[in-house]
Amino acid sequence: MTFHPRERGSARPGLGRRDFLRASLLTTISAGSLGSLLAACGGDGSSNRPRASAVQLSRPDNPVKLPIYQDIPAIASGLEPEKGTLRVLNYSEYNGPDVLKAFGKKYGVNVQVTTFVTMDEGGQKLRTPGAKFDVFYPTTDVVGKLAVGRLLQPLNKSYLPNVSNVWDQFLDPFYDKGAQYTVPHTLYTTGVLYRADRVKSVPANGYDLLWDEAFKGKIYVLDDDREALGMAMLRKGITDINTEDPAVVDAARRDLEELIGGVNIKIGSTQYSTVPEGTATIHQAWSGDAVNAQYYLPEGTGPEVLGWWYPTDRRGAIGNDMLAVPTAAEHPVLAHHFINYMLDPDNSVPDFEYTGYQPPLKALNPDSMLADEYVTENLVGAVITPEDFDKGLQLLQLTPKGEALWDDAWAKFRSGA
Amino acid sequence: MASRRLWPALAAPGVAWLLLLFLVPFYAIAAVAFGGTDPLFNAPLPEWNPLHWQFGTMSEVISRATTGDLRPVFVRTFFYVAAAMALCYLIGYPVAYYVARLAGRRRGLLLALILAPWWINYLMRMLAWVNLLQDDGYVNDALLRLHLIPNPVHWLSGNQYSVVLGLAYGYVPFFIVPLYVTLDRIDGRLLEASRDLGHGMVRTFLHVTLPLSRQGLLTAVVITALPMFGDYYTNNMLSGSPTTTMVGNEIEFYLLGSSQKEVGAALVLVLSGLMLALMAYYLVSTHRASRQVS
Amino acid sequence: MRRARRRPRTWRRPWGLATVTWLYIAWSLLPVLIAIQFSFNAGRSRTAWQGFSFRWYWKDPISSVWNDPTLHLALTNSLRLAALTMVIATPLGVALALGLTRWRGRTATASNALMLLPLATPEIVMGSALYLVFTNLYTSIPLGRTAQLLGHVTFSVSYVVVIVRSRLLSIGPMYEEAAQDLGAAPLQAIRTILVPLLAPAVFASLLVVFAASIDDFVISAFLSVDASSVTVPIRLYSAVRQAPSPALNALATLMLLGTTVALLLAWAVLRLRRRTTGAGGRAGASSGALQDLATLDI
Repeated sequence: MTFHPRERGSARPGLGRRDFLRASLLTTISAGSLGSLLAACGGDGSSNRPRASAVQLSRPDNPVKLPIYQDIPAIASGLEPEKGTLRVLNYSEYNGPDVLKAFGKKYGVNVQVTTFVTMDEGGQKLRTPGAKFDVFYPTTDVVGKLAVGRLLQPLNKSYLPNVSNVWDQFLDPFYDKGAQYTVPHTLYTTGVLYRADRVKSVPANGYDLLWDEAFKGKIYVLDDDREALGMAMLRKGITDINTEDPAVVDAARRDLEELIGGVNIKIGSTQYSTVPEGTATIHQAWSGDAVNAQYYLPEGTGPEVLGWWYPTDRRGAIGNDMLAVPTAAEHPVLAHHFINYMLDPDNSVPDFEYTGYQPPLKALNPDSMLADEYVTENLVGAVITPEDFDKGLQLLQLTPKGEALWDDAWAKFRSGA
Repeated sequence: MASRRLWPALAAPGVAWLLLLFLVPFYAIAAVAFGGTDPLFNAPLPEWNPLHWQFGTMSEVISRATTGDLRPVFVRTFFYVAAAMALCYLIGYPVAYYVARLAGRRRGLLLALILAPWWINYLMRMLAWVNLLQDDGYVNDALLRLHLIPNPVHWLSGNQYSVVLGLAYGYVPFFIVPLYVTLDRIDGRLLEASRDLGHGMVRTFLHVTLPLSRQGLLTAVVITALPMFGDYYTNNMLSGSPTTTMVGNEIEFYLLGSSQKEVGAALVLVLSGLMLALMAYYLVSTHRASRQVS
Repeated sequence: MRRARRRPRTWRRPWGLATVTWLYIAWSLLPVLIAIQFSFNAGRSRTAWQGFSFRWYWKDPISSVWNDPTLHLALTNSLRLAALTMVIATPLGVALALGLTRWRGRTATASNALMLLPLATPEIVMGSALYLVFTNLYTSIPLGRTAQLLGHVTFSVSYVVVIVRSRLLSIGPMYEEAAQDLGAAPLQAIRTILVPLLAPAVFASLLVVFAASIDDFVISAFLSVDASSVTVPIRLYSAVRQAPSPALNALATLMLLGTTVALLLAWAVLRLRRRTTGAGGRAGASSGALQDLATLDI
């Protein structure tokens, strides 16, 4: 499961690996009529089998250089952008329509967006036979798998002069050393969005707001196992939120379970509207929700009722997603132009206005965002700076065993026992 | 006789369709339940060959469902569905009866109004309910004004009554339609005869109408209760609290959102197994009814 | 024994039941009205009223239903899918119902159970199972609108069977037997006698299938491939966790409007046909095709 603000908290199944299927089909021919029926169908197999074990777990202190395959080269330089329809694969409501229209007009092409609800579904759509998406938006936990799985093509930087607009640390990120496959798209931190008009004082450890029984019945955690359990860990000062230690994960789960009886905790996903409307007083939320919430205030209520808490030492949960070009892209040159287009603040900022999530551009900083009225004074903590990235803690890819551990802990919490 | 071959011939296209597009896919679910998940992309790995099936996950899921953390979820789901079905019956039967037999001229209009909510998306209706059930929403407003409650009720705070009401709300039209179709068919003369014999309205209903509508009632129960067991969206929208999680939510989580798709598939098989009982009763009953009839 | 026939033959007016029915309808439609109300919201919220406006219908240059081509496509896809599903699933289901009710034997019982299983299967399961099968086994059928149609018909057939069958059981075999005694062949008897008797059930099935199809999210989503196979529910549900706009409420309202208009048209056409063919209803029954269908009697 991916911890991305657009993630619905559930994922889609993907294809079983075809060669595995073929192997089992071959053994079933002798096993009976059903076996032979199934053996009659079946997909093609590929001899280069990407293995899960080939994917290294990247960490900020352990950068990973993703493999480049000989048979998936970057496009040549100096080519003209193709005509036709640019196919974008992204979360829903995550591309500013006017930005896409403007791009289409500039290059004389159509832009078609296909959406997915979860990153697993996105990956599955990418792997669907015949899929020819030109632009994809992976997250840090899947980019390694996608590269190893031969689903992305390396970028040709000669088409991306605007990449210099981006914060320097993204020119050589730990999850994609040398930025061979990706450029960053947006950033998000996870904090607490609350009603400043109801919460008189915010404790030093803001996570404790969620345990405050004064607001019983109006407190929510995010519907995301990594975010919720991770938050419980951060509250207790544990900084390794990618731990696979069962004791730690279990303790986090028990902390969350305190919330069931204590504050009648709920699991929510529409914080951008429930907090401004007052249904929720305290909601674990992403930075983009703080920005978006300003637009969901009822008539007569001003943005001063909103409050955003993030650790003052800026050691909270942080993350980013990226833009990449899939291997099967039919319009790779156009895709590169699109990426370059999105790295220009003139286009990226209107896109941010639509989605609420901040791009890591040098042109944007808390003062400029405040001055341009993207956020109000009380929400300025939701703006992210390059230093935040150095201090922040990222939720990253786990081993399958680790994922199962977190999954089960979350399922137990959710069963309400 | 031509007639004897007629019935299977009529049924054949439907059966073939269901075999290819339902049974085979269902086998795929079993193949995943006894297979695994590809850790690279969290993709389910169906194990098509039954000889290679792994039963470890299934036995673990069964033990979780009977004695572990999943047991309260199953029990809770069962009670919610039973309560929602009771509501459907209390609301749906009178409405179906009225529209089928007593509405006269207005019958068409009423039918259309009953079916109208279906034309607007379920999500829209649920969001509207969320709006109405807010602590300061219209429902509490009305109840407070009528002095039916002393303080605003927290409808959306993990309130099991809200979930049950939500389930009933979503499924009542499915309950009414087959009931309507049957009640409409009851011969009015039978009811008149009952009256002539001196029975009052209630007696007639209990001894004549109700038994005659049994088949329709059973059908109504089947097409509402069975899907209700797998419902997850109602709980998501109206509650969001871990204290009201239903089996459908856990299935959704494991099948869609986790790295252990086989657990989700196994849960599905367990749920289906439990529902076989209800289905078996329906099958036996219709079998008996059609025997009597032909 | 009680006093005999003290009252006239008609019952008292059923006020109680009428009240219950109208209360139910109000309860049922209230959220629909609210959803429609918010489609006219001036602001972006779908639950906090921010003023009246036609912004989401046509005024907003980017996001309104008029100006957003993805919404048009979603609407067209939904309606087309539902109509096709209706047309395929209903005959399939009626034939299956007829066959299953009269057929005897073990295969019949097994087929019965098979027919019931889709009803008992949660949609996520059907969706993911169909996805697995279309991508691994039936690979000649690409994902997209065709696969969605196949999926929709699969879950709809059972509704038709179940509704038609309950009516069939209460009708009984006497009409067909009478027709056969009069010399009609079995198929002819079915066509001329049974099918008209089943008309209300068939009509109800059509409505149920249509409604289930336009509201279906899970199966459509699993079997969609890209923007060309997006339906209205997919558009709505996938946006709910993001920051969607009331344009989606407007879309749903338009769909409601469209289907109401279609229903009215069908009603008008049937009424016209009744007038021209002069089919008689029950004495005292009033006009209206729905009532006619329901009061068909021999």
